[in-house]
Amino acid sequence: MTIENIELDIRGQVCPSCLLLTLRDINKHHSALSEGRVRLTVLIDSRDATSTIPPAVKNMGLAAQVDKVEDYYRVVIARPEERP
Amino acid sequence: MEASALIALTTSLTVGLAAGFCMHRSDFCLAGAFRDLFLFRDGRRLRALVLLVTASAVLFELARVTGVLPYYPFPWFAPPATINLIGGCLFGIGMVLAGGCVVGVLYKLGGGSLPAAVAFLGLLAGSALYAEIHPVWILLAKAGTWHDRAATLPQLTGVAPGWWAAGVAIVGGWFCWRWWRQGLWRTPMQQAEGYLPLWVTALVLAGLGLLSVLGTGMPMGVTTSYAKFAAFLEELIAPGHVAQVAYFTAQPILYTLPHGGPQLAGGGGPVLDVVALIQFPLIAGIILGALISALLLREFHPRWQMPGRQVLMVFAGGVIMALGSRMAPGCNVWHLLGGLPLLTMQSLLFLAGLFPGAWLGGRLFLRWTTP
Repeated sequence: MTIENIELDIRGQVCPSCLLLTLRDINKHHSALSEGRVRLTVLIDSRDATSTIPPAVKNMGLAAQVDKVEDYYRVVIARPEERP
Repeated sequence: MEASALIALTTSLTVGLAAGFCMHRSDFCLAGAFRDLFLFRDGRRLRALVLLVTASAVLFELARVTGVLPYYPFPWFAPPATINLIGGCLFGIGMVLAGGCVVGVLYKLGGGSLPAAVAFLGLLAGSALYAEIHPVWILLAKAGTWHDRAATLPQLTGVAPGWWAAGVAIVGGWFCWRWWRQGLWRTPMQQAEGYLPLWVTALVLAGLGLLSVLGTGMPMGVTTSYAKFAAFLEELIAPGHVAQVAYFTAQPILYTLPHGGPQLAGGGGPVLDVVALIQFPLIAGIILGALISALLLREFHPRWQMPGRQVLMVFAGGVIMALGSRMAPGCNVWHLLGGLPLLTMQSLLFLAGLFPGAWLGGRLFLRWTTP
């Protein structure tokens, strides 16, 4: 099964939009994310969101992996089995 | 330049550089401390603020009893008035909408945030607006003064400051210890590169607050300078009008620096006075410190990606925050890091206003950013 990747670029936005918009998109695609059909990739430049998004995602039964890419951060959100 | 002025200038610059660097590393956002409690039930930063206030209370009291504190209580703190509460509430709304408080905006600006630049412009506009209504507001302020007997709780009650400081240390210390036992000071599982734990920056800021008091005689404060920047800009456009605005022409502050020298005057007008001497280097230091941090991490990259309605919200937040800080008078850093550890009643009222303000700001933020 191919996993669809949805990208959300919210760099350059005011705090705490990163967390709010990420949670909004997770809620929008929650069933697809839980079933492993979708992976959400969020691009952020808020340093704080790198710490706040993963625990919020975990509380929703999903997993998040944060990586630095050049001068911003990429957060990949998927179901825990996918090991994002 | 007088030696005392040089000491004040270098102290402010040093404090600013260190504060800006550490705040950027931890994203030590004081607006977030209140906002996140209401929006996400997240108390991480508010806990760090409790640690910061507790440590500051202990440090200031130690400095007082050892006789190294130049002024006690700190200059410019007056008896309580209703305007402190109103100003705190407005400030709370504004700082949430602007995405950072008056100092948060500076370190975020240094880190390359363009929303912070918009908030900065809002702060200038709000300061200029306040100058126009200042004469009326001052009348209201006088009418709303609760009493004129004392500025701090120790002065009001006649109970020695040491007992009050011990009380703050015990209560604040107990909470901090309890949170430590619950594992709430632990570093997050994933974090940004070069992350500095919030508790580290809280303790550094407490130390820097003491350094500021020793070198300049007063805790960190920046907001009168926003009025000065606004006045400098307005003078370029309408010099005739600036000359007629009482808030810009008055020099109501008379201050003698702690390490000698003559009495100096200061105010919100477009002149390089004692306010500029103390606050300008602090502001420059915070921006520079954050810029250095961001450059070292290769994260300095300004991006203009805000939706139009967000630009409006952030600008309005800056305006409201500036109005709040002039009306209070004083900003959250001045009151929470300077006045609160000494239990000044103005600062307690400002804090009481911040909570409902931040709650309301959070509701408005949600409505504007996630329609």
